[in-house]
Amino acid sequence: MARKKLTTAAKAPKVKLTPRDEKTAERLTGLADRVVTAANNRRDPYVEIPSRTLANVKYSPRKKIIEMGSATNRRQLFDLSQAKAYMRTMLVASGCKKLIDQGKSTSLRGMFYMLKHTIEGSKENTFDDQGECDTIIEDVEVLLQSIREELHLYAENRGAMVGNITFTDKGDEINCAKMGSGGYAIPSIVEPDVIVLDKTKCKAKFILHVEKGTVWQRFNEDRFWEKHNCILTHGSGQPPRGVRRMLHRLHNELGLPLYCVLDNDPWGYYIYSVIKQGSINLAFESQRMAIPEAKYLGLRSIDFERCQLSDSVKIALNDTDRKRARQVAQYPWFEKKPKWQTEIRKMLSNDFKLEVESLISKDISYVTEEYVPARLKEQDWLD
Amino acid sequence: MATRKTIKTRPVPARSLKKEAAAPKRGSRLAAAVDAERNGAVVEADDAADAAVDASTNGQSHAGANGKPPRRATAQSMAAKQRDISVSEFFAKNRHLLGFDNPRKALLTTIKEAVDNSLDACEEAGILPEIWVHIEQTSADRYKVGIQDNGPGIVKKQIPLIFGKLLYGSKFHRLRQSRGQQGIGISAAGMYGVQTTGKPVKIISRIGAKKPAHYFEIQIDTKRNEAKILNGGGEGVDIPPGDKGVKEIERHGIEWVDVPHGTRVTIELEAKFIRGRGSVDEYLYQTAIANPHITLHYTDPEGNTRDYQRAADRLPPEPKEILPHPYGVELGRLAAMLGEAEGETITQFLVGKFSRVTPAVARKICTAAKVSPRAWAKRLGRQEADALFQAIQATKIAPPATDCICPIGEELILKGLHQVVPGEFYAAATRPPAVYRGNPFQIEVGLAYGGAAATQNVDKDLLFDLLEETDARTVRQFLIHTFNGLGAEAADRILKAAGLGTRQTPKTLKPKERLRLLEAMQNVNVAEGQSMEVMRYANRVPLQFQQAACAITQTITSTNWRSYGLSQSRGGLPKGPVYIMVHIASVWVPFTSESKEAIASYPEIQKEIRLGLQAVGRKLGMYVRKRLRVKQQSDRREIFMRYLKEVAGAVSDVNGVDKDGLYSQLLSVAKRVTADADMKLDDRGRKIKDEAAELDFGENVLIVDPVTHAASINRAAAATAAENTAE
Repeated sequence: MARKKLTTAAKAPKVKLTPRDEKTAERLTGLADRVVTAANNRRDPYVEIPSRTLANVKYSPRKKIIEMGSATNRRQLFDLSQAKAYMRTMLVASGCKKLIDQGKSTSLRGMFYMLKHTIEGSKENTFDDQGECDTIIEDVEVLLQSIREELHLYAENRGAMVGNITFTDKGDEINCAKMGSGGYAIPSIVEPDVIVLDKTKCKAKFILHVEKGTVWQRFNEDRFWEKHNCILTHGSGQPPRGVRRMLHRLHNELGLPLYCVLDNDPWGYYIYSVIKQGSINLAFESQRMAIPEAKYLGLRSIDFERCQLSDSVKIALNDTDRKRARQVAQYPWFEKKPKWQTEIRKMLSNDFKLEVESLISKDISYVTEEYVPARLKEQDWLD
Repeated sequence: MATRKTIKTRPVPARSLKKEAAAPKRGSRLAAAVDAERNGAVVEADDAADAAVDASTNGQSHAGANGKPPRRATAQSMAAKQRDISVSEFFAKNRHLLGFDNPRKALLTTIKEAVDNSLDACEEAGILPEIWVHIEQTSADRYKVGIQDNGPGIVKKQIPLIFGKLLYGSKFHRLRQSRGQQGIGISAAGMYGVQTTGKPVKIISRIGAKKPAHYFEIQIDTKRNEAKILNGGGEGVDIPPGDKGVKEIERHGIEWVDVPHGTRVTIELEAKFIRGRGSVDEYLYQTAIANPHITLHYTDPEGNTRDYQRAADRLPPEPKEILPHPYGVELGRLAAMLGEAEGETITQFLVGKFSRVTPAVARKICTAAKVSPRAWAKRLGRQEADALFQAIQATKIAPPATDCICPIGEELILKGLHQVVPGEFYAAATRPPAVYRGNPFQIEVGLAYGGAAATQNVDKDLLFDLLEETDARTVRQFLIHTFNGLGAEAADRILKAAGLGTRQTPKTLKPKERLRLLEAMQNVNVAEGQSMEVMRYANRVPLQFQQAACAITQTITSTNWRSYGLSQSRGGLPKGPVYIMVHIASVWVPFTSESKEAIASYPEIQKEIRLGLQAVGRKLGMYVRKRLRVKQQSDRREIFMRYLKEVAGAVSDVNGVDKDGLYSQLLSVAKRVTADADMKLDDRGRKIKDEAAELDFGENVLIVDPVTHAASINRAAAATAAENTAE
């Protein structure tokens, strides 16, 4: 059988590609070429996707971040359980190629709609909900070692910031000290080609990251950032990549220390862990996102006694919480920290969790006027 | 029944003469019945009726008497009413004992008795049986039933006796495998007909082509258990052979099929024709399976005809008559036999009247019974007979000869099932003969497994042809009659899926509706919720009632079918398109009751049934699993096929490679990967399930391509004939 000539990026690009885009496009084409080669050789085409599981991440004590291991999962076309995922991987690759070629970017949801269609000759859809598509996109990211931004994909804006800092976003100057009550919505892509930071235009001395918008509102309303000269951010729970990348850049490029105020529950601990060491799922991005110097300011499991909170603010732990807490305690990056072990043990023996909002039971502005300033002053935090 | 109990517990009071006069008939009947059979069902029935009368009498006498109730009847007055009852009278009143409990069952029993007799007669005469069954509705609840065979015919003198006298026959006094046993059946059917409609039984029989046919119209004199001949001045009529004779027969309202020899009986009776379980349809269908050597023509009251062609041209071997085995003889029977033994010593008696008793064994028995081996058998007293009976049970005697049993045979079971039951996999097992209580018996099991129903294999042209050919009035009827094994329920589901009304006429369907019907037929899973169909046979006769009480059903439900690839809930019949037939052949089939509807659960019989079921089950399991594997492989391929185009498209979007070229390359890889499934795709891309060559099923398995299966579609007779000539 005559060997098919491999054609590479046959379509004339409509826009001038940036060097970065060219690199990504090359990787995508390489992926497609491998399929053609396999088909030519009458072999089963497959892709090796780095495994994104706890088993395949390793904590680097030196860098203090989570790094992805070398284990991969083989995804084959001619395997009953993987055929569909393989097809989806190829679809996502083709979608990304299209975006790069046209110099446009789209949301994750947009990509989902771009690729969603009924498979010819059946009643089956390529994708049924966005979650299925998002997972595959993450697979393609690790497969190509290209981050989402490079694939021209962005997520919904989540998280906000205010503070004594001015920077440019796509050429527009943003003064975060003049953002009103809503704050500056942190975009999903905060790479240097979008957001340009300038050390001289930052007066803030540290960053305070809180878990949720509601708590953030409290701090903003009390003009905490003004009084303490800081940047105030939140990430709507588990911070999205845009927020984490923004924090990483602020921390590393402007040299601002980061303090976190999170709920006292396993999820709060995990959010801190993600900010500090990186997430298991996106371990390949830890390098660009993890902030090993981040500090955990509160809430602590000792706070119920320390702040003399009333019984009514307790939320009982459920089985999932307890299980999760034990899991978190066993993470290698928490395992060798006696303070953290005490903290988690204390929460388990308390058998209740505390939300940041619970401090409101003391006083509406207790958290901004007493709790956080006191912790900062005493330098009382967990590392 | 409370009143009746009180009567039983106290002495029978004398009945006032006045009351006696009021119900003289009842009293006399009671007396007679009691005389005839002390514990029989007759007594029960009449006693209960009398109880009501007694109770009212009782109340009166209590009110009027001063403590001492007067006697109702004296021994003398009762004796005056005690008399003989004829067996016909007994059965006339107890027709349920013979299977005439209701009009529906009466129709079935009538046909069953006639067909069984015909088959027995043909086989005994060595003629390949051909049977015609014709049912015609004459009024709302009356049917005329005609059953004809091509048997040897009956000599003139015997006709009135066979059809007009109960308990007259050749089969009762011998131990031999046959369908009928007592000689009650057909005459009872005639009697039932006469009783319910008043119309005589009409019999035509001819013993040779040149001989005249004898024509009788008979009524049964229940009092005397005798036939009353109505035509020809009590002598019957001879109808000459030839066209003239045929015309004359027609004039009597008989649908005689002109054969050189044979018998036709026509009975008009009160009946009800219902399809489904326990119906005539089912009986004939099952008979055709177990008797592959017969040809059966059946015309139902709606005028539909169904022909079951014979699948074998050889008669089953003639069953041998055997002597009873000592283990199977009861004490009473032994005593009676001893009484009949004229001029024989005990040894001679035992050796001569029983099978497997050698002089040595006879001596052993006599020693154990402490009876002299040279004593005259006739002189043995009751006690000695009892001792002899005990001794027989204690002595080791070789099991009876089993060559007296004629099984259907695995090959013929397969042929019979294949001819009649639609399916794609058939297996059969004939167990070696075994013995229960001294009676030899043999178990045979046949299994038909039909994956895809006939409806699913029909293509557009065939369906349109079938729609043209059919004379069914509604689409529903068309579906049920055309596609064998498709029940009413499945037909309804198909119609619902097609959005057609049940009462639409097949011929007036618009092209669009036809296409919808076709699509529905192919998509509706008719096997859904279907459970195993069990066909039970005793000496080739289908058993249709009391399924749950039968040893066969009990053994099937207690067998684990899950390991053979069928789903089954605990203690239930397995699910799926499976037909199973179990045949017990024996010189004496142990029925649970006289109505011959269920087999008694002897452990020996159940064990043999289980082994037979397991034998066919294992083969089914192999087939089902193999098919599942093929299906999985082809499913796999389908999944790959589906995605390949997407993959090729996506890859070509990225690197601009030729989409179709890549697709065809991937396709060839897919074919290699799913090579297993590839073998089974024929030129039309359809899956072939014929896998027998690769699997070693052992013997006695038949696998057919359901698409070309003749039994699955019942075409109109003309069309079939045309097809045959075309081939």
